[in-house]
Amino acid sequence: MTPRARKPWFGLGRSSLVLRLVLLAGVWSVAMLVLAGFGLNQLFTRAAVERFEAGLGESILGLQAETTVEDGQVYAPPMTDVRAYRPFSGFYWQIASLDDKGVATPLVRSRSLWDSRLTPPPKVAARARANPGVSVYFDTTDPLNKPLHAAAQLGVIPGRTEPVLFMAAENREAIDAATRRFTYIIAGALIVLGAGLILAVWLQVRIGLQPLFRLRREVARVRKGKAERLVGDYPAELSPLAGELNALVAYNQDVVERQRTHVGNLAHALKTPISVMLTEARQQPGVLADIVVRQSEAMRGHVEHHLRRARAAARAQTIGERTDVAEVVDELAVTMERIFQDKGVTIDWRAPDELCFRGERQDLQELLGNVLENAGIWCKRKVRVTAEPIDGDWLTLTVEDDGPGLPAERRGEVLQRGARLDESAPGSGLGLAIVDELARAYGGDLVLEGSAMGGLKVAVRLPRAET
Amino acid sequence: MRILLVEDDPDLSRQLKLALGDAGYAVDHAADGEEGHFLGETEPYDAVILDLGLPKIDGVSVLEKWRRENVATPVLILTARDNWSQKVAGFDAGADDYLTKPFHTEELLARLRALVRRSAGHASPSLACGGLRLDPRAARATVNGEPLRLTSLEYRLLHYMMLHQGRVISRTELVEHLYDQDFDRDSNTIEVFIGRVRKKIGPDRIETVRGLGYRIMALEGETDA
Repeated sequence: MTPRARKPWFGLGRSSLVLRLVLLAGVWSVAMLVLAGFGLNQLFTRAAVERFEAGLGESILGLQAETTVEDGQVYAPPMTDVRAYRPFSGFYWQIASLDDKGVATPLVRSRSLWDSRLTPPPKVAARARANPGVSVYFDTTDPLNKPLHAAAQLGVIPGRTEPVLFMAAENREAIDAATRRFTYIIAGALIVLGAGLILAVWLQVRIGLQPLFRLRREVARVRKGKAERLVGDYPAELSPLAGELNALVAYNQDVVERQRTHVGNLAHALKTPISVMLTEARQQPGVLADIVVRQSEAMRGHVEHHLRRARAAARAQTIGERTDVAEVVDELAVTMERIFQDKGVTIDWRAPDELCFRGERQDLQELLGNVLENAGIWCKRKVRVTAEPIDGDWLTLTVEDDGPGLPAERRGEVLQRGARLDESAPGSGLGLAIVDELARAYGGDLVLEGSAMGGLKVAVRLPRAET
Repeated sequence: MRILLVEDDPDLSRQLKLALGDAGYAVDHAADGEEGHFLGETEPYDAVILDLGLPKIDGVSVLEKWRRENVATPVLILTARDNWSQKVAGFDAGADDYLTKPFHTEELLARLRALVRRSAGHASPSLACGGLRLDPRAARATVNGEPLRLTSLEYRLLHYMMLHQGRVISRTELVEHLYDQDFDRDSNTIEVFIGRVRKKIGPDRIETVRGLGYRIMALEGETDA
């Protein structure tokens, strides 16, 4: 079972390095772009409003310069802006008196206002009163309920003691529209820029991390047995890792090899004394001799059992091994024909070139050797070996003979350890059980069937190394 | 019958010498590889029983040396090494039989009898074709002195072609001489065998004569070995 993953950070703790880098860069860029967008928009709006207000200020200056008083009556100059004469045109002016409460009462107003008036909010009136000669700006609406931007300024007219409030106002829809248009344009441009930046970062990361992906693919090839070691040329940061991986693979193979050597030495060391004891005891009469024979036989069984266990343990750890099937079949066929020379056994074999077993050569030899020996013992004259690929990951080795075969109900017994169906036939009696165990260690299996040649058909499924 | 026993374990050697003596063999014993090699090279034995794990020189090396020196005495390997890879290595080095410890003395004697009987078979002259050489008595073939590893069907094919070297041999003719009557044959069998034999003896020694069959020849500039 795989250990439960630590709760990922925003869902990308372990998901993807690329995603992580792209998202970090992306979040930063988007934040910066949004900030820039707001800033630009603000600047543009300010500039537009200031230009607008400059226009209003000029209108007020014009009013202030030409306004006259005659018999207490205030007269405004004729305005050059014709819009002041058309009712509700969107351009207005007004000269008003301002009382202490900040209420403005119009003295003269533009024709465009008709009988409505411009009413400054109390705060604006107060500020205008506090700062004579300075324009104070505010927003209001005209009689048609259009938004207006207005300026108010307190000033004096020659011939009147009371100061008056000059006001000019203009429809602000124009600047609102301009600002909105600018916002749309800048937003569009920034979105395009942002997307471009993220794409560029993604490309950069993909290309930058390419050697890492290549390393991963190569390691996979080694594990699948397609390659024996990493050979790619990697950048400075990765090449030590590739070196370490190669050292690990080599160390692994070395350990397996050493274990096998130890196992072989132990076998040699123990088997000769056992053989001597057995032979000697068999020739002697008496109880002691019987006990020695029985115990020596038991020792032999233990030695073989534990040696096989040790080999199987070593086997499970190997990676990156591949073995040419045809080569092993060929050398074993030749060996086996020599062993069964007196019987005149003919071994006919077929194996496609380039078919490779994903595993140790010694294991394939052990496996096929045992099956072939069994076939050699039981056949009349002929043994046939066929190696075929099943698919990309598996291959099958079939060994058939023309012997008496094995009844279906007894086939299960053969695979049990140490079972021997015919005590009179030579052989260790472990043959097919070892094969079954080996095949399982590689994730394969062994099937016993009847052969068209008359005898037993042993089919072993084994992992295939891709070519 | 004279036997050479090369074995370093004193108890096992004593037992075997006794058993072989009882069976009517004259036995010489060597306790290490060096002595064993020397005796096997200089004395005319009828068979050798050879242990693999020996002091000084190991058994496979001793055997390889004998075969290089054309010592053809039949050799039975007696060893605790029961891996198939080691058996293959033993037969490749030129062994004639292989028995693993622990063993029954009766089985060793039976194997030995078979070995001696086999090697006493009728001698026939060896065949040569350029660097290719085939010895029908030992059922062995060599290319430029290097032993070839051939299965019996491959050996039969090569033997037949060398008996008729220089002549074009048709596929049908080969099939008829390669197989027993009851061997099931399929049509592309011969190509498979020719391909395999070519791989072992070198690609150019067997020529394909389009539409007719195959012909075996010495390589250009080669004289019979």
